[in-house]
Amino acid sequence: MQQGQTQQPPAQTAPAGGAAGQPGGPATGGRGGRGAPAMPRIPPEFDANPIWQLDQAKLIAILKDSGSTTFQKAIACKRLAQIGNKESVAPLAALLSDNRLGHYARFGLEPNPDPSVDEALRSALPKLKGRLLMGVIHSIGVRRDAKAVDALGKLMYDQDVEIAQAASASLGTIGGPQAARLLRDGLNRTKIPVLPVVARATLVCAEGLMRASRAQALELYTTLSGPSMPKVVRLAAYRALNAEASRTAG
Amino acid sequence: MIVPSSVLGQAVDQTGRPVGQPGVVAPSDRIIVGGIGLRNRGQQDLAAALADPRVQFVGIADVRESSRETIKSIVDRHYGNSNCVIYRDDAELLAREDVEAVMIATSDRWHACMAVWAAQSGKDIYCEKPAAISIAESFALAENVRRYGVVYQAGCQRRNVPNFELAVGLARSGKLGKLLAVHADDWSRTVTPLGHSWWPEERPEPDPLVLDWDKWLGPCPWRPYNSRYPDGGRSQFWDFHAGILEWASHTGDICQWAADCDHTHAIEYEPVPGTTHVNCSYANGVKLIFRGDGWLDLGTCRVRLEGTEGWIETGDSGKMEMSDDLRPYHQTVTMRGTDPSRHIQNWLDCIRSRSLPRANAESTCNAHVTSHCAYIACQLGRKVTWDPAKRAFVNDEEANRMRSRAYREPWRLDSLATSM
Repeated sequence: MQQGQTQQPPAQTAPAGGAAGQPGGPATGGRGGRGAPAMPRIPPEFDANPIWQLDQAKLIAILKDSGSTTFQKAIACKRLAQIGNKESVAPLAALLSDNRLGHYARFGLEPNPDPSVDEALRSALPKLKGRLLMGVIHSIGVRRDAKAVDALGKLMYDQDVEIAQAASASLGTIGGPQAARLLRDGLNRTKIPVLPVVARATLVCAEGLMRASRAQALELYTTLSGPSMPKVVRLAAYRALNAEASRTAG
Repeated sequence: MIVPSSVLGQAVDQTGRPVGQPGVVAPSDRIIVGGIGLRNRGQQDLAAALADPRVQFVGIADVRESSRETIKSIVDRHYGNSNCVIYRDDAELLAREDVEAVMIATSDRWHACMAVWAAQSGKDIYCEKPAAISIAESFALAENVRRYGVVYQAGCQRRNVPNFELAVGLARSGKLGKLLAVHADDWSRTVTPLGHSWWPEERPEPDPLVLDWDKWLGPCPWRPYNSRYPDGGRSQFWDFHAGILEWASHTGDICQWAADCDHTHAIEYEPVPGTTHVNCSYANGVKLIFRGDGWLDLGTCRVRLEGTEGWIETGDSGKMEMSDDLRPYHQTVTMRGTDPSRHIQNWLDCIRSRSLPRANAESTCNAHVTSHCAYIACQLGRKVTWDPAKRAFVNDEEANRMRSRAYREPWRLDSLATSM
């Protein structure tokens, strides 16, 4: 008989002190990977925990205060991602054009279910360019804002290739019959390097349509299986068509 | 020119290695593999891959010059040539039509995004764990792997380590009786659940040719450069990390497999106040307990499976302890739980057979979702209930907001066809 052979399940034991990371608890780094540097004393001006304890009104005040640091605003945005409501939308949206904080603003806005977020993101589309515009387009896709479909359909032909790609991808994620029509047009009217993104987005759109509009979905898959489509998309469309044929035959 | 292996006889290939002999694979039959971000753990994966004669490793992409050069040196030394191509941009590697498969061992924040890109490029994938740092990433990964029909193996190698396989086999075959509880070691509560705790002092950004800071950050929120992040301290920051998934992506995965729940997620999650424990339960009645203490001395990443008729506990040492009635099943296992060799072989086998690897995207996604839900319960400090069909927490908006993290531009997480 080996030691421990009949050992019973261990009793639950409470660790010394609070678990790392309980609200207000130690910002211990644990293992931190090979050769992780030891955790130093955190400078108070770069400690997020005090900001994390604030309510929405005080977080919004940080965003509006021109004297707040980038760090303070960044942490306020992240906290508002969890607790922000309609009141936080305008102060966050005001940061969408900030090169450093634009993403933090989207971080705060993207999970907020209030419909005013969609309005704010749509309103930002004509005001932004480059990467910041890409980010807003991506967030619109994540939120599946069907009211943005027509605007994205135009951006699919933007001169900035990355904007066109972003708009295509978001159209695919939003899905629905109107996005499907726009993407199908895009398959004929866009070229590399936008076309492969349009094709992948159309695949996603077709998947989403399968329940609500099976005929339109199959039509999209058939288009995507054509010889002018990127090979990986063509193969994926064939697989989908074969699976559907097997399902209906079975 | 592609030469069928059958006509090669005793010839040598372009690297000078004999072909047509036992254990030697003709060039035309080899799997052309590239690597992305192979650093510490990645080099162990690479060594396992290079040891398999089916692999022809051809290129490495990395945002860090020193890592690119190190991998090239290892690969070139292995083949006795200088053919390994280095890339600063992974997109160039993924665009190579001859590359059939990629190994990804970047740090956590890039795993899912990079794997999705690889799937969209039609590449088979071996990707280190955690496979995804959010619930949304977990689903996106599984959907893209399914959509593009590629073979995906997560670096949850304990699914191919004998003592863990034995433990799961005993549970799944009923040798433990009715399975009651599975325990997963989550020692590594490495970042604060609130986790946005601090920024180190800003330092001048390095030359992008040496370390591309913007690409290193990838989809994570911008922050000023400090060498603490790339030099080993990244997992001290929630932005770059998945919390309890440091180990739970292994141990929770094994437990979910043992509970016959590869296809679903646990539904209830309750952190135990004053402890590191999270008590969870599956719809089939099996309890899942994440805990960081109270384990037998069996090495790291321990799991314990308990049924009405017996129990077994094992860990990375290969050792196992079990109830008396199960003694006949005891095995002596010398393989360490950290050894990826059999797991890599399983991946390569599946690339050839086009079958599902042990740690495929679907099971990995589901195990990760369970672990992420447990982590969210820790972060909130209260019980949460999860609806697997709706992919949502029940009546808990705050928890639902924590299912995803907005990607920093220009990166995006393409392609969830179904709503979360």
